[in-house]
Amino acid sequence: MLLEVRNLHARVGDREILKGIDLTIEPGTMHAIMGPNGSGKSTLSYILAGKEDYEVTEGDILFDGESILGMEPNERATAGLFLAFQYPIEIPGVASMTFLKSALNAKRKARGEAEISTPEFMRLVKDAAARLDISPDMLKRPVNVGFSGGEKKRNEVLQMALLEPKLAVLDETDSGLDIDALKVVAEGVNKLRSPDRSFLVITHYQRLLDYIVPDVVHVLSAGRIVRTGGPELALELEKNGYASYARDAA
Amino acid sequence: MPGPTILRTPAEDALIRRYPAERPALPGGEAAAAVRDRAFGRFEVAGLPHRRVEAWRYTDLRTNLRQIAPVAGKADEGRIAAVPPVVPGDRARRIVVANGRLVPALSDLDGFGEGVRVRSFAEALAAGDEVALAALEGPLLAGDNVAVSLNTAFVTDGVMVDIADGFELDRPLEIAHVTDGEEASAVSVRNVIRVGAGARAMIIETLEATRPLAHQVNVVTEITVGDRAEVDHIRLQLEPAEALSLTTVTVEIGEKARFETFNAALGGAIARAQLFARFAGRGATGAFRGVTMLSGRRHADTTLVVTHDAEGCQSRELYKAVVDDEARSVFQGRINVPAHAQKTDARMMTSSLLLSEGAEANAKPELEIFADDVQCGHGATCGALDDDLLFYMMARGVPREEAEAMLIVAFLGEAIDEVHSEAVRDMLIHRVEDWLKRKG
Repeated sequence: MLLEVRNLHARVGDREILKGIDLTIEPGTMHAIMGPNGSGKSTLSYILAGKEDYEVTEGDILFDGESILGMEPNERATAGLFLAFQYPIEIPGVASMTFLKSALNAKRKARGEAEISTPEFMRLVKDAAARLDISPDMLKRPVNVGFSGGEKKRNEVLQMALLEPKLAVLDETDSGLDIDALKVVAEGVNKLRSPDRSFLVITHYQRLLDYIVPDVVHVLSAGRIVRTGGPELALELEKNGYASYARDAA
Repeated sequence: MPGPTILRTPAEDALIRRYPAERPALPGGEAAAAVRDRAFGRFEVAGLPHRRVEAWRYTDLRTNLRQIAPVAGKADEGRIAAVPPVVPGDRARRIVVANGRLVPALSDLDGFGEGVRVRSFAEALAAGDEVALAALEGPLLAGDNVAVSLNTAFVTDGVMVDIADGFELDRPLEIAHVTDGEEASAVSVRNVIRVGAGARAMIIETLEATRPLAHQVNVVTEITVGDRAEVDHIRLQLEPAEALSLTTVTVEIGEKARFETFNAALGGAIARAQLFARFAGRGATGAFRGVTMLSGRRHADTTLVVTHDAEGCQSRELYKAVVDDEARSVFQGRINVPAHAQKTDARMMTSSLLLSEGAEANAKPELEIFADDVQCGHGATCGALDDDLLFYMMARGVPREEAEAMLIVAFLGEAIDEVHSEAVRDMLIHRVEDWLKRKG
């Protein structure tokens, strides 16, 4: 098992947001989590990545069989976990290439590999950028600074492509994208599908799942996974909405 | 009835005893001596500044200056010669001022060609040079300033640089101030730099020491920028972490001239960098920038007063401080816009990054505006590193220390990037990175 979330409870301040999540993801699979606003979708993604603001009060998260709750975000990343942010952050003054190189070298160091050579790094970035329709000009700017919403999301997928994670969590990657940008991003994700890479796609709408077809769909409501099914579950939600689940959870 | 008793601190007492003892050996004739006496008289009346003196509110010398180091003796030329250049690869022609005296043997005095004249300030005073005497009398811009008064009273030497009208320096001119010796010592230097109309120059001043001792260094540099001249002034303050550093720059900026100054406050237990600028002619531009990195219990004060004394001038100020441990940074910035300085465009910005609970940053921006057709603004920010930025970077695998270092370099880089010398920029970024490594 690649990821095992066991009875996960978490809160921010006094507010309990996750109320016992159980979720398992096998290698090479595409999982989708759908749910209404406020159900805890983004919280789950942040807790997986190790954001400090959340307190896990019960349960555990096993990644490759080991608990990651005590690990720093960078340790989780070098272990193979990747979070594509819903709102990628602008970092003024930090050059995109410097940042990408640091990230890539951190991963290599964790694996006991030597630092990447500059020509090899340039070639990797250039190839990955071309596939995602990212211009060399964009990469000359500081990280995400002056990028449009679509460019920021493509930049997330670029980072994912370079870091080759075992598990990529995509937090509302479709939000703020027009249909053309959505296709580019989805295509980028689909190209990265492989037997040793899994995905957890978090989305509010079914639309994204027309382009990234999941193996398993989970419904998250009020801090719990209330239903798990195949791709057809997404279509059913699109038709009937989340209302019935909100009632069940209450 | 007895008069009031004036209580003096041991440091003040030491200075009062020292002046008559040093006076006969100080350069210049009767006229110079009279100027010194007046300056020392001003010090005697005021004493060392303390927190009830508004301009020195955050840098209380009366409390913090416990003792006065002996006047520096002769520097060892071998040791001075062995000091590597602060800015490798800047091709600068160096002038060395060691222990308060110009060292001709180590200075490139003739290398500049016809357009530049470099002299010893002490020799000019001794020869009765009127420019030198006027310069000793004091940069009027600084007003009644204790650091300047003490400098005037005790100054031993310095350099006078005259750049002819229209002359363009092909490489930077570096004035290296080095303090050498086995014991902590006191040094007072006065530099006078006059850049002619339409001339161009980059002037780099460095301040450092051969040993980590609690030297007391007081350097006053008076700059005159001729009409349409372009001057870049860079000061790299790299004294030992034990030292007291008092530096003052005054600058008069002529019509349609461009003057930019950058101060890197990287040394000293207590460092105060004062800058007094006056726009004397129309349509000139000035940029005043600096960075400070502080750790331990160090204290750095940047105090500047910019006076728009002519129409249509533009000034920009950008000062950035990174403060760690129990260190303390001070920024006092004042812009004066009298009624006749219409069409003034003045912007002042200062930002501080606090890296620990015990770190402190004080910012006091002031605008005094009497003209009605101006654009003036100021801003001050103070805060810790942004957790969301750190999380984003760490979520990509970048370790915390490395992410923090990248953000700190980016923060200071905003000011460093404006320096018009790649060699200086590279040197500064290396210094920042070294500082971050030592900080751990």
